Amino acid sequence: MNRAVSKVIGIGKQQGLLVAFAVLILVFSLTAPGLFLTPKNITLVLRQIAIWGVIACGMTLVIVSGHWDLSVGSLTSLTTVVAITLHDKIGPIPAIIIALLVGLLSGMISGYLVGYQKLNSLIITLGMMGVLQAITLIYTGGKYSRIVEPEETWFSFIGRGFVWQIPFPVILLAAIGVVFTILLTRTVYGRRVRAVGGNPVASKFTGIRESFVVMSAFMLTGLLTGIGGVMLGSRMMAAQNYIGSGYEFQVITGVILGGTSLTGGEGNIFKSIIGIVIIGMLNNWFILMGMQYYYQWAAQWVIILAVVWIDVAGKRARAME
Amino acid sequence: MIKTLKANSIYRTIRKVVITGPIWAVLLGVFIIASVVTPDFLSLRNLTNILLQSSLNGMLAIGMTFLMINGYFDLSVGTAMGFCAVLTIGMQPYGLITAILAALVAGLAIGAINGLFVVKAKINAFVVTLAAFIGLRGLIFIYTGERSIVGQVDGFATFGMSEILGFPTLALLMLVFLVIAEFTLRKTGHGRNTYAIGGNAEAARNAGVPVERTTFINFMLCGLGAAIGGIFIASRMNAATPMLGWPDTNLKIIATVALGGTKLRGGFGSMIHTLGGLLTLAIISNSMDLLNVPSFYNRLSMGLILMLVVYIDAKFKPTAA
Amino acid sequence: MKKGMRNLFLLSVLLFVGMFAFAGGGGETKDDVITIGYAVFNVGIDSYETYHNENFIAECERQGVELIQLDAQGDIARQINQVENLMQKDPDVIVIWPVHGKAIVPVVKKAHDEGFKIVIANSPIDETGFDYITAYAGPDNTQEGRDAAEMMIEAFEKRGITGQKKVVELMGLPGYVTAIERSDGFQEVLAQHPDFTLLATEPTDWNREKATRAMEDLLVKYKDLQGVYVADDNLGIGALNALKEAGRAGEVIMTSACIFGEGYDAMKEGYIQGTCYQYSGLDAINTVKVAVKVAKGEEVDFLSTFESPKVTPDNMDDFKRPEY
Repeated sequence: MNRAVSKVIGIGKQQGLLVAFAVLILVFSLTAPGLFLTPKNITLVLRQIAIWGVIACGMTLVIVSGHWDLSVGSLTSLTTVVAITLHDKIGPIPAIIIALLVGLLSGMISGYLVGYQKLNSLIITLGMMGVLQAITLIYTGGKYSRIVEPEETWFSFIGRGFVWQIPFPVILLAAIGVVFTILLTRTVYGRRVRAVGGNPVASKFTGIRESFVVMSAFMLTGLLTGIGGVMLGSRMMAAQNYIGSGYEFQVITGVILGGTSLTGGEGNIFKSIIGIVIIGMLNNWFILMGMQYYYQWAAQWVIILAVVWIDVAGKRARAME
Repeated sequence: MIKTLKANSIYRTIRKVVITGPIWAVLLGVFIIASVVTPDFLSLRNLTNILLQSSLNGMLAIGMTFLMINGYFDLSVGTAMGFCAVLTIGMQPYGLITAILAALVAGLAIGAINGLFVVKAKINAFVVTLAAFIGLRGLIFIYTGERSIVGQVDGFATFGMSEILGFPTLALLMLVFLVIAEFTLRKTGHGRNTYAIGGNAEAARNAGVPVERTTFINFMLCGLGAAIGGIFIASRMNAATPMLGWPDTNLKIIATVALGGTKLRGGFGSMIHTLGGLLTLAIISNSMDLLNVPSFYNRLSMGLILMLVVYIDAKFKPTAA
Repeated sequence: MKKGMRNLFLLSVLLFVGMFAFAGGGGETKDDVITIGYAVFNVGIDSYETYHNENFIAECERQGVELIQLDAQGDIARQINQVENLMQKDPDVIVIWPVHGKAIVPVVKKAHDEGFKIVIANSPIDETGFDYITAYAGPDNTQEGRDAAEMMIEAFEKRGITGQKKVVELMGLPGYVTAIERSDGFQEVLAQHPDFTLLATEPTDWNREKATRAMEDLLVKYKDLQGVYVADDNLGIGALNALKEAGRAGEVIMTSACIFGEGYDAMKEGYIQGTCYQYSGLDAINTVKVAVKVAKGEEVDFLSTFESPKVTPDNMDDFKRPEY
């Protein structure tokens, strides 16, 4: 009996986040019986967070490499707007391609300034956040955009379609998650990203082209944000200028909940996505419980701290063994 | 011979200053450009406006500077300020002094909570303060019940708009606090410890510096700065709105301090630097208003300027302090 | 090094003081052209405001009036600063679209005490500020809320639905006066009809995607909800996305407090049963006209509201589809 208990505790220490995740699901299901843990509701939540999840894959890379990217929210606004406005003008496929390119280009600029010019990523991406939002506003002149004939195009499938009962955005998220997990854990590139974040000095000595590694992390994030923008635009079939506002915080919170170390060098895509799912579940649970939205925010304070505490305590316990 | 000596020393002085505190060169440059380009810039009224308008951010920046030199930053100052502002107004039925005290205590408490989780639980500061940022917003709404509240004490608003010898009272107060803060940094043990920890926490600990206690105090100071800032804004509005401090304030404050030259990794910086950053941003913002720059371009240039100053700052590495 | 630092600091201080010394009074000379100083809430936040802004600028040109416009981008502290900066430019009248009706009062008082005339646009200022302004020019948001409630009650009656009627509300930006007034007006009328139950109110920040998410979750929680009230058609379309997916569009009754072009289309298709015609162009033109009169010192109504009539599927052909 004792050995079983200590084994469970051992697993708990190993996987602090997953334990917290399981606990939350349990609590939510018990308090919102018949509502929370239904296939319909769960698919809903997954679809709601799919965009953040996609971006989180890139953000994990950036944070593992030792940096921040605060521009993803504004970049989402921009790419969504681009995808929607160009859809009617030049067709869905060119519009998607351009939206992705915009994301890639933005990532390249941030990545160049941080990777090659060695500027502080927090402030650079903060500046980019303002610049990108301003470009969005200037581009649209402050107006909404929308696709005039939503029935006439396959574009809405990306955001609204289902494949075997699973929403397409969730499938995209899963696919991207797998690709990036492989990238981070099994490729030389992934090893380099972790080396750069974990120990920048040593990696310099081994001749790794640190600058390129960093820039590429930003570029990938930009690309993923572009994909996110396309997904969002497809879901709404319209775009508002501030639509991505606040995304950077949601994504970073999710990645951190997932245990990615903010000092760099260590990270896990799957766990980042779990972190994002936790946030989505929280939002959903509050409405199901009929609680006023602002109690939600107050409770998030407690829950985030609790989840991370469990995870950190687990890590420390492990380190001491 | 004497002439060249003099010219040489002036040159060297300027060069030293530019290296240690480039923000002052930038500030001077900005001031000159603004005076030339912007109509009505150089009036006494306008210059006092600028001082007044920077007094709010100034209080928050003062608190943040302590923390950043220590090597951390606080993402909750925006909503912490909002919460304290709300308390200052909401508690007025119990007396103005009580209300102000309540706000100050709240600020210290918030700083203490953040500090505890960072120092004791060893959770990453970004997460802790981000959670507080969200949670406090919830508290503000819970307290105000979504409505806004109006102050009862008329004298309070008059105080906020008042002047002493032609100088806005709030601006004078901010400058007084700034001087006290700078004194604390330069001349007290706490200040010296703060620098030491920011520079190299391990070395500081080995040298006997009370790392945990100092960091904890600095978190509280940051909270205090937010509280005083909240009191200021409450007096300007004689009302408290639930939207205060959301969403950009934190990043603006961090940017202000970093712009001034305080390094994000800690160990370097000062209140004077922060003042430089504060005034620079205030002048730019003011000029753009007076120049009637369309708001979208205003935002764009703020972002670009931020990135530019970081670039300049990185290129002039400070000589070993 | 310390010396160099100190020297430059002293130099800067000297310069500052020097500037103060020979800085003059500032201020512009008055000429024949009327100048409006306009502190606006947030131009890019949604199409209504963008369109309003365009019409405002166009009307100013039409009237030969000079316009100085500052955008607070939704930040009240910034708006207070901007009003002070506008005072610096000495316009003939100051127009404010407040970020926050209560918090703007002290600076409005300050401007009033210095002799400026003030017109409030679109979103009302708190009563305590009424003494300091010359006029309010904008829609009556509370009435819109009331109208939307009445239209909802009528729609239920028309369909012959009996029993306890369950509705939900999607409101605008929490803390923002327009959102609060539209919500209050709606709830005020609904409270007079005990056969209606308001199950929940969710905020959306005027954001369509948030409206969709909120509606999705509400549909899960309240499987038997029958009606939804949205603060404007933009949110209405967001809610409609969720309703369509749940297969309940058209079955669930929707009314809104403010019309948008897409909402007009949706009403034609039977998805929206009532909205208010608050035409942003009219709003802007009304405001400019009032402001010009105030600048000239002419008499205006204190509450210069303009009408936002009810629009239902029955009378919608009488109205032009908004461009935004």
